[in-house]
Amino acid sequence: MTLRTTIAAVFRGRKLAALGAVWLCIITVAAIGAQFIAPFDPLEIDPIARLSEPGLPYLFGTDHFGRDTFSRAVYGARMALIIGIGSVLVALICGGLIGLLSAYFSTLGHFLMRIIDVLMAFPALLLALVLMTLLERSVINTVIVIGIVYATTTARIFFGMTLKLKNEVFIDAARCSGAGHGSILFRHILPNLWSPLLVQASFIFAFAQLQAAALDFLGLGLPPEVASWGNMLAEEKIYITRAPWLLMFPGALIILSVFSMNLVGDAMRDSIDPRFKNDIAGI
Amino acid sequence: MALLEINNLSIAVASQGQLLPVVTDCSFSVAAHETLGVVGESGCGKSLTALAIMGLLEGSQVNITSGSIVFDGRDLLQLRPAQRRAIMGNQMAMVFQEPMTSLNPVYRIGEQITEVLQQHRKITHRESRQRALELLDLVKIPHPQDRIDSYPHQLSGGQRQRVMIAIAMACEPALLIADEPTTALDVTVQKEVLDLMLDLQTRTGTSIILISHDLGVIAETCDEVAVMYRGRIIEKATTASLFANMAHPYTRGLLASIPTIDTDNDWLQAIPGRVPGIDEKVNGCPFHPRCAHTETPCTQTAPRLIDTHPHHAVRCHFAGEI
Repeated sequence: MTLRTTIAAVFRGRKLAALGAVWLCIITVAAIGAQFIAPFDPLEIDPIARLSEPGLPYLFGTDHFGRDTFSRAVYGARMALIIGIGSVLVALICGGLIGLLSAYFSTLGHFLMRIIDVLMAFPALLLALVLMTLLERSVINTVIVIGIVYATTTARIFFGMTLKLKNEVFIDAARCSGAGHGSILFRHILPNLWSPLLVQASFIFAFAQLQAAALDFLGLGLPPEVASWGNMLAEEKIYITRAPWLLMFPGALIILSVFSMNLVGDAMRDSIDPRFKNDIAGI
Repeated sequence: MALLEINNLSIAVASQGQLLPVVTDCSFSVAAHETLGVVGESGCGKSLTALAIMGLLEGSQVNITSGSIVFDGRDLLQLRPAQRRAIMGNQMAMVFQEPMTSLNPVYRIGEQITEVLQQHRKITHRESRQRALELLDLVKIPHPQDRIDSYPHQLSGGQRQRVMIAIAMACEPALLIADEPTTALDVTVQKEVLDLMLDLQTRTGTSIILISHDLGVIAETCDEVAVMYRGRIIEKATTASLFANMAHPYTRGLLASIPTIDTDNDWLQAIPGRVPGIDEKVNGCPFHPRCAHTETPCTQTAPRLIDTHPHHAVRCHFAGEI
């Protein structure tokens, strides 16, 4: 199947999911070309124009330092993408490896999966908060912490699927043809996990946005000088009555992005699993 | 010298702290270029024996408790994993019962054939693809050029089994283990697949262990036969001698249970009862609860394997009498 037919199969008859995909494309373009799209430097202060209303030249208005909210939102898209992709990579690589190895080597699995159980006993945000307080506020640490939080569920999913796959006849056949453990794990089992892995990635991406925004809002996520949607909410929350647009724009961006990513994830899952044919993404 | 010699092989399942024997004291050998048939009902230990030979029991609940598996002069059970992997797929290969699930669904069949070749041979990508085409042609897949880039789900069951045979034969192994290779196939396809295996055998001189519950298949294809019941070999003979001097009541029961087209029987001849579970203990001859000829010694002592004819051994107290 070519990439084009795959994309067509995912979005055919799922208009809302297609709209979500378009929105994600816009966010991606904004993130990549932030310095060309943003009309102002996101850190540039214009004290005279502070808390000005949306209009020209400040499309989304300005915050209490007089920084352009639109430019900050565009750079925030870049942060959102970095957090999303980074967390997905950390979660899939750590969680995937733990799940894969735990299922394949059962003695190791007894040990590793119990650690995962302990981590899963914490609510996701609480676990992220605890880890963040141990670490310094930085982009990379935020990515690692959110990645670890979602590595637990990923490990569970991989564990279950690998357990099932490793008893398939074609795995026995591979062992019969002289394949070693590494070759069986990464050449025979892993490629069978690509599609659930893709779906899982889309959901982690969406949840990572929410988690990062929550951490920023609580003052434990990205450093305060970084332009991110969560930081914008946190900094301007006291101006909610005087300048509500300062909260509306970043809030709407977070909601739209998470919603879009979930719709695309649903659409991908539905196109893989026929049991979910007429779910919400099919509207 | 025999290519494969199995001496006193015993296999047991670990269950709730105790070892339940599933194969007991099993010995047989396969000479080069020969075909050995292993027959028995489901659960008699024939597949486990095959898995033990291929080293697929490691890391499972099933353990080899004693015995040796000597292949080409080397005891497989004493080899290091890497040495063993060098033999598997290269000098011995296996074809499984379920052609629908024994190919990896995410790889094209060409890739699955070349993988084995690249594992065991110093061979370029182009050469291995060329060889894969030859193999597909050899196993009579029509239009190998078009088929080599198909995924397993695009092939029928019979074609998949042919691909499995192509993979197994890729390195021209000295021994091929076929575990009920035709059970999941249509009768007409069964015949084709069996003929194909025998054809390949005459070309390459591969020895075959054919596991089956179908005495008809065995009669057509094998030089020697071992009949298993409850993890023991109960009759072992050349095919000609087995069918001429069938001695064990179980073997006779198996043969009688094949329906024939020219007798007007309304009922299928069956062996009464069922194979006892592995956790049930049977004293004396393991077959005596189902045997029509049971007498006092059968319930007390387990019979040994006795030669009744040249190249014909039977495990029955009354071998040759009944």
